Amino acid sequence: MKTLREVGLFFQRNATQQLRNPVWMFVGLSAPVLYLTLFTPLLKHFSGADATTGQTLDVFLPGILALLAFTSGSAQGFGTIFELRSGVIERFRVTPASRLAILAGPLLSGMAFLFLFSAIAVAVAVAFGFHLHWVGLLVLAVLLGLFMVTMGAFSVATALITKEISGFAAVINGLNLPVLLLAGVLLPIALGPSWLRALAHVDPLYYVVEGSRALTAGTLTDDHVWQAFAVTIPLCAVVVFWATSVFRKAVA
Amino acid sequence: MDRVITTRDLRKNFRTRKGSVEAVRGVSIDVGRGEIFGFLGPNGAGKTTTLRMLTTLLPIDSGEAKVAGFDVARQPEQVRRRIGYVSQLGGADEMATGWENLVLQGRLYGEDLDTVRRRAHELAAVLDLTDFADRKVLTYSGGQRRRLDVALGVIHDPEVLFLDEPTTGLDPHNRANLWDHIRALRDRGTTVFLTTHYLEEADVLSGRLMIMDHGVIVAEGTPRELKRKVAGDSVLIGLHDEHLADRATLLLRDNPHVREISAEPGGLRLYVEDGSLALPELLRVLDREALGLKSIRLSEPTLDDVFLRQTGRSLRDATAEAAA
Repeated sequence: MKTLREVGLFFQRNATQQLRNPVWMFVGLSAPVLYLTLFTPLLKHFSGADATTGQTLDVFLPGILALLAFTSGSAQGFGTIFELRSGVIERFRVTPASRLAILAGPLLSGMAFLFLFSAIAVAVAVAFGFHLHWVGLLVLAVLLGLFMVTMGAFSVATALITKEISGFAAVINGLNLPVLLLAGVLLPIALGPSWLRALAHVDPLYYVVEGSRALTAGTLTDDHVWQAFAVTIPLCAVVVFWATSVFRKAVA
Repeated sequence: MDRVITTRDLRKNFRTRKGSVEAVRGVSIDVGRGEIFGFLGPNGAGKTTTLRMLTTLLPIDSGEAKVAGFDVARQPEQVRRRIGYVSQLGGADEMATGWENLVLQGRLYGEDLDTVRRRAHELAAVLDLTDFADRKVLTYSGGQRRRLDVALGVIHDPEVLFLDEPTTGLDPHNRANLWDHIRALRDRGTTVFLTTHYLEEADVLSGRLMIMDHGVIVAEGTPRELKRKVAGDSVLIGLHDEHLADRATLLLRDNPHVREISAEPGGLRLYVEDGSLALPELLRVLDREALGLKSIRLSEPTLDDVFLRQTGRSLRDATAEAAA
């Protein structure tokens, strides 16, 4: 109860601050729309001469949504670095507020914005002929929410350990590229050779992307769906537990 | 004495690439309720590390610490409820207004919105925040910002307020102004524990103080007691020719008035029992030997003299050394 109330307070604080930053809001909104408008035409060419824009989006949009969850999660640590430097985190750590709440508030606020931006991307895609499956999208929201929290907790913990922007950016960027390339975000990994397809199985984002494609297609019973949850749920639990313990320990 | 802070043999080591550094080496402190307790020392002396252990931010390696009746290592949550802490960085949200900062901070201590609002207005009056509290913190001057930081530290009416170098970066006017506000908080019953590397701040503000250097306490008491321990006054002698300092030292060393003598840039520093009696005699000797006296200055001991006597260097040098 106490923790829940504190999560609410930190959520409100973060959400208010993000809403007050118009540049950030604009970038957040424009990224998915740019992908859809500038990248879909290219992809349509690959999908075959007779593919409609709607069919192309059916393959491409789930990848974009997974990508949004991934990037909005891994960017969480930048805020942490700033708040470490400005003493905000230390101020919160001296209060009796739950350590989990200090961590969870900003993550959940990031998740709320992820859902907002994703909903806009879906709305734009629908206008171009994307086939909507409501139930699949709702389950997808749960999957992407979990994955975003996993990435976010990892990013915040990395920020707490590295403590400064250059070290943090090196770790996060160094990790982002292989994870993204192996996941088949933009083009399905099934198009690749067998060694690439095998290697993709060590990448958690790969399962999320595959699960997303099945869910947006409305096939909830597809094997990719349960596999995505089977990978994400334990990973999320482990990472959040680790991040909370990093928070509990001394940070400068 | 009703003690609000007690520590026994507090220690903290940091591991670095070069090996282990003993930042705090056996610190024992007793702070009574309702006093302003100063913690003076050069940068790098271990003041902030001690403070961070007392405020639950840093694990204690060994030794005991009790704050507001609770063990810091075993009952950190109980301690956190009863203390306020203002770090050197402050830590207010720049994009939020003063009121928003105060309200969130108060609510983190479990208070309901009405209580927090009432308390925020009360504090804004005490700390002179009312005129600008509805503006974003980003727009504040240094002094305004510092007062908000202090208000954030006491929004829940803590038993002890920890201030880490509260006036660093403030101009003399704002510094004196913040001192008044800190005294006002003390008068309202808050115990204040503050670190500083400013001699004057420790001298005018604290009822009692401790001097720390290289992780250990080198002196403790009221400013008066500490200065009395140095015994006597100091006389600064300036010479036209610095090379004559050695001769002057030989001449004055065995003089019955002189307790201690040391070379200073441009001359000598002497410690004498009673400056008003020693001065005529010193002048006579220096004049007779035609040592080229340029200036002579008598001063009552300062905390810097106390520091100098305990550590062999002046606080100013020690601070410069830490910065280098």
